[in-house]
Amino acid sequence: MKTKNNEALKENCLEKTTWKERYGHWPWYRRYEFILVSFLALIAFGFALPRPGLPETLFQWLFIVFYLLLFLVWAGLILIDVEKPNWIKAIAATLILSLFGWLFYRYSGAQWDKLGYAFFNWKVLSETGSYGSTVTGWAELFQGLLITLQIAIFSAIFGTILGLFLAVFRSLNDPILNAFIIIWVDFFRAMPIIVLMMIIYYALPYLNITLSSTVSGIMALSLNSSAYISEIFRAGIESIHHNQVEAARSLGLTTMQTMRLVILPQAMRVVMPPLTSNYVAMLKDTAICSSIAIMELLKTAITLQAWKANPTPLVAATIIYLIILLPLARISTVLENKMKSKGITRSIRRQPKAA
Amino acid sequence: MGEERQVMIETIDLHKYFKDQHVLKGISVKIYKGEVVAIIGPSGAGKSTFLRCINRLEEPSSGKIYIEGVDITSPRVDMNKIRSEIGFVFQSYNLFPHLTAIENIKLAPVHVRKIPEKEAEQKGLELLKKVGLEDKAHAYPDQLSGGQQQRVAIARALAMQPHMIFFDEPTSALDPEMIREVLDVMQNLAAEGMTMLVVSHELGFIREAATRVLVLADGCVIEEGLPRQLFNNPQHPRTKEFLSKIL
Repeated sequence: MKTKNNEALKENCLEKTTWKERYGHWPWYRRYEFILVSFLALIAFGFALPRPGLPETLFQWLFIVFYLLLFLVWAGLILIDVEKPNWIKAIAATLILSLFGWLFYRYSGAQWDKLGYAFFNWKVLSETGSYGSTVTGWAELFQGLLITLQIAIFSAIFGTILGLFLAVFRSLNDPILNAFIIIWVDFFRAMPIIVLMMIIYYALPYLNITLSSTVSGIMALSLNSSAYISEIFRAGIESIHHNQVEAARSLGLTTMQTMRLVILPQAMRVVMPPLTSNYVAMLKDTAICSSIAIMELLKTAITLQAWKANPTPLVAATIIYLIILLPLARISTVLENKMKSKGITRSIRRQPKAA
Repeated sequence: MGEERQVMIETIDLHKYFKDQHVLKGISVKIYKGEVVAIIGPSGAGKSTFLRCINRLEEPSSGKIYIEGVDITSPRVDMNKIRSEIGFVFQSYNLFPHLTAIENIKLAPVHVRKIPEKEAEQKGLELLKKVGLEDKAHAYPDQLSGGQQQRVAIARALAMQPHMIFFDEPTSALDPEMIREVLDVMQNLAAEGMTMLVVSHELGFIREAATRVLVLADGCVIEEGLPRQLFNNPQHPRTKEFLSKIL
């Protein structure tokens, strides 16, 4: 209701006028004539750019940068103008992006003719894979993907269980227990995953604790994510109004029943978006497992690349990562937006403060 | 009153501090079975705190509380069992927003009393009927009006078949047109002989249903008596001042 009224008010008070209607003309830098002429001038100026290949002198570098800046100013004048139609802005934005691409193509000094052979040489993957292998490169990559997913899923399960327990015990507000949990959380948040993984896999065997590489990887990822996940759950639990606890306790529910039946189901709603993005981050972090010789997707790709002396397997792995992670990243964004539009939870709404 | 009446609640010299703030300054009252006791008093007098201390939602700082003869301030008492015998209706309803009305009602019977799901559902529907909401059994709290939510909250408290019910300003968060429906439910309860402790300023309700009124001010019971007698002829100057403001 309120916003509608405001909009009506705005429409009544502010007349919708363009610059032209108010002042009779646009300033020179906003006119289409200027935009067109300056664009043609910029194109003409482009012929003065140095020849392709890595620039040799500082002057050539400066010239390229100057040209880019001029183009940026030209596009900026269009993009910040509220009265320009969107299609013109779209063209300007596309032009500036293409210019970046073109300048990189022209002056990076890369041997572009090798691109297809190096990056998209799919034949490399359809042959049998690395040393002693009987299956194709694709099959090996697929095998690696399965291991990646396996590590991610196990780490997610263990990390979530551990994190949930930490958060629930934290909510008991016992000072000694809390101190331990805080130390745990801070320690594993501060610890780089790769260091943790190497300690578990390379250092612990000296104490006669020998874990397989996969177990070490899962352990490091679970411990690391337990710290983050417990903080997520803690925020979720704390977001539930204390009224809910009182109502549950007044009915005779025990602390744990209150947690299980009243608090956690409500907290889940709040927790879902950050939890999802945490899982996405963890799936990405499985790539670290390649450092302790787990044959997951990245390690498989690197091995193949070394064996075939061609980076196509790495490109293929990149594409596989993106195919899996892009939708997940999108889902977590959608969940987050949904959450925001809903308000935080139903419970927080419509609860007057107790006197 | 020829026969001995059963004492449901007895507090002896009950004190409560919030940090340095002395909220309850030695309250000693006895509440008998079947009584409807209204607690009135200016804001900040400690009415809600008193109610919440009796079922230990707040820990009393000192003093004794006996519920049906059991000293609940002793550390050995099973507070969950005691609480399950005391219904509590909050000012802000405090329904569980992730559960429907009927699920709200049967949650505690199923998980605390271990009543079979079906039986609890049956009982819950009867209670909803009693508060006039049988058609709202599967509505979520945010689909109900304030008055309806509060009636569900009362049904939820009743589902545990409590020996007494506390009402903590049950109507003060409600729009005027919804107050009546909640008060009607409470009045019916009172007529059935439920022991009730009500913090409320609904004078109409107190006149009709309450058997006794306690006036709390600055953490002390300054006056008590029958509603009619107390409203018409208050003795304590603070009571006079307070009543002149709300009458």
